[in-house]
Amino acid sequence: MKSEKPWIPYAFLLPNALIFGIFVGLPAVYGIVYSFTEWNGISSATFIGLENFKTILTDSEFWTMLFRTLIYVIAVVPLTVVCALGLAWLLTRGLKGSNVFRAIFFLPVMISFIVAGLIWNWILQTDTGLINYILSLVDIEPVGWLSNPVFANISVILVTVWNRVGFFMLIFIAGLLNISPTLYEAAEIDGAGTWKKFRNITIPMLRPITLLVIILCFIEFFKTFALVVSLTGGGPINATRYYVQYTYDTAFGMGEFGLGSALSLILFVIMGIVTLIQWKVSNGGRV
Amino acid sequence: MKKPAAMIAMGVLSGLVAAGCSGGEETGQDSSSGDTVTLDVIWFSDGNEGEVFKEITEDYKSENPNVEFNIIETPYDDIYNRIRTRVSGGDAPDLARISNPGAVSDALLRLDGEFGNKEEFYNQLKPSARPWAEVNGEFVAVPTDLTAHGLYYNKEYFEQAGVEVPDSTEDIWNWSEFADAIEKVKENSDARMGLAYDMSPSRYSTLIYQNGGRIFSEDGQSLKINESESVEALEYFNELHEREIIPQSIWLGGENPNSLFRSGQAAAHLSGNWNLQNYSDNADFEWGVTYMPQKAQRSSVAGGKQMVTFKDSEHKEEAVKFMKYFISKEQNKKYVSESLFISPRSDIENIEYAAETEAMNIFNNELSVTPEATAEDWSNFEYMPDVEQKITENVQRTLDGAMTPQEAMDSIVESSDVGSE
Repeated sequence: MKSEKPWIPYAFLLPNALIFGIFVGLPAVYGIVYSFTEWNGISSATFIGLENFKTILTDSEFWTMLFRTLIYVIAVVPLTVVCALGLAWLLTRGLKGSNVFRAIFFLPVMISFIVAGLIWNWILQTDTGLINYILSLVDIEPVGWLSNPVFANISVILVTVWNRVGFFMLIFIAGLLNISPTLYEAAEIDGAGTWKKFRNITIPMLRPITLLVIILCFIEFFKTFALVVSLTGGGPINATRYYVQYTYDTAFGMGEFGLGSALSLILFVIMGIVTLIQWKVSNGGRV
Repeated sequence: MKKPAAMIAMGVLSGLVAAGCSGGEETGQDSSSGDTVTLDVIWFSDGNEGEVFKEITEDYKSENPNVEFNIIETPYDDIYNRIRTRVSGGDAPDLARISNPGAVSDALLRLDGEFGNKEEFYNQLKPSARPWAEVNGEFVAVPTDLTAHGLYYNKEYFEQAGVEVPDSTEDIWNWSEFADAIEKVKENSDARMGLAYDMSPSRYSTLIYQNGGRIFSEDGQSLKINESESVEALEYFNELHEREIIPQSIWLGGENPNSLFRSGQAAAHLSGNWNLQNYSDNADFEWGVTYMPQKAQRSSVAGGKQMVTFKDSEHKEEAVKFMKYFISKEQNKKYVSESLFISPRSDIENIEYAAETEAMNIFNNELSVTPEATAEDWSNFEYMPDVEQKITENVQRTLDGAMTPQEAMDSIVESSDVGSE
């Protein structure tokens, strides 16, 4: 059945397309253009071809930072996915108070990254933080949660999971509620226990959702910025300075907007490649 | 019935989008279209200087009724981004308060011709203020106030520990006496920690200058930071951390030193005169300012704030006229005395400050004995942004035990491109 006015759907899309075009599309195009220039944000940009990419790719600091970011993402994505799936599974078991716990686990998602980072910064401080104060009550020496590079990374990973797990939990809950109960009933008749049902029904049926969550997690955590900056400032000794902060510091701290744009373009390419690989490996998320 | 409703909804949405995309309301009248000139001023405040500045603009307005001011309060961290955004968007502000003219030098109006004889103007400034007026030999900024580093202390804790602070320039601590004094206060008073030392390469560099070193060579084209004076400074800084006189949580954990001192946890705070107003208003214990220790020589670090206007400002002429008024002896005296700042003018002395005169006299004294090398180093706009980041990182690596002080300072020199262009 054909609409009498086929332009109507496009008209509805227009406001969003305008907003997207002006605030995302156009700056992205400018970003690509500037990545081939030397520009300090004020004077005219000078076209320098691939020089920015050459500078970046031959800079050992870039590779160190990229490796650091990858370690962070590799640690935080599986942890978030497992925690989110575990919580979603528990909260769809029909246990008493599930709705209350659902709200509690979702609460951190509603806190802005900056505020969440600052709160945990206070809690985790070595000399004045709440956790070390509690440890001191049982005669445990203060831990450098934010001043020791290893502990700082662990702190950032745990705070990230705490802050974001509720959001991905909701996606998993939606996926779990979409699995037909008849599958579980049939498995029970065949004598399957809880673990077998989870392994042979829940996990395969959640495959498209899991892929979506992994891709979303990967993109989001690779771009992590506000939470980490307000929690550790990228320290100590750059131990938690990840990709976007590096880009931000290059562009806005050093006034190297051409280099910053090139870094953004490289980030875009990295995320595109990883997403494609994930898509291929999971066969497009088909069950 | 559904289609008209959808059309109305779409119309409203489109309207909202169009409204969102349209330019903001004009902030002032164009001088060319009427008598009134509105000067857009990008401003940041550490203390009450914003209020004092407003009073001065009111005075100016009473003398120049055709001028209005649109003061755009901006967080310090966002100053240069805001300036860059406005300049590159063709909407340069008329005036801005900044602390690093080099960060936006391409956009600044050259003031050589605007202030008459440049040298004549420079002669009105203290030597430590002059380097802040120029970028690459061009006069682009008017220094409005100077800053000096200094030492705040908690009087109660020092009394509890029986430690006396130097009350004149005759009995200033050396580095060793200073470390012992703070350690004694920490151990014999209610203070939880000794010295809160700002995590700032500028504050850190105080030790380099006190030991007779400097960061750059005199021509600013090579680094001297790996010479023995600077290495010894880092050894001393590391020792202060190892003896737990300075808590590691500031330089390695990002803890706020202001909060540590203001909340009565630290016995002393090495910071600068910009915190006077803050402590005056918010610290609910007796505190004071005393002289910083010395090694080879006494030294603070000369910094400051400047006022600038832009090549593309709409009201350049009126902006320059106001800058001349703002830096005039009478107005600058009012500004620095009420804001608790140090004047950049050499002809303003013995200021009666609105408060904390005793503390301000110590800051003034610290600045008066500070070598010009400090201002020369820190106004090396070409290389300092990169070098100061490296100083922070390599000092942190030393405190973390990953490098020796000599390795850390060598690393700055080896990884820097100072003098390569």
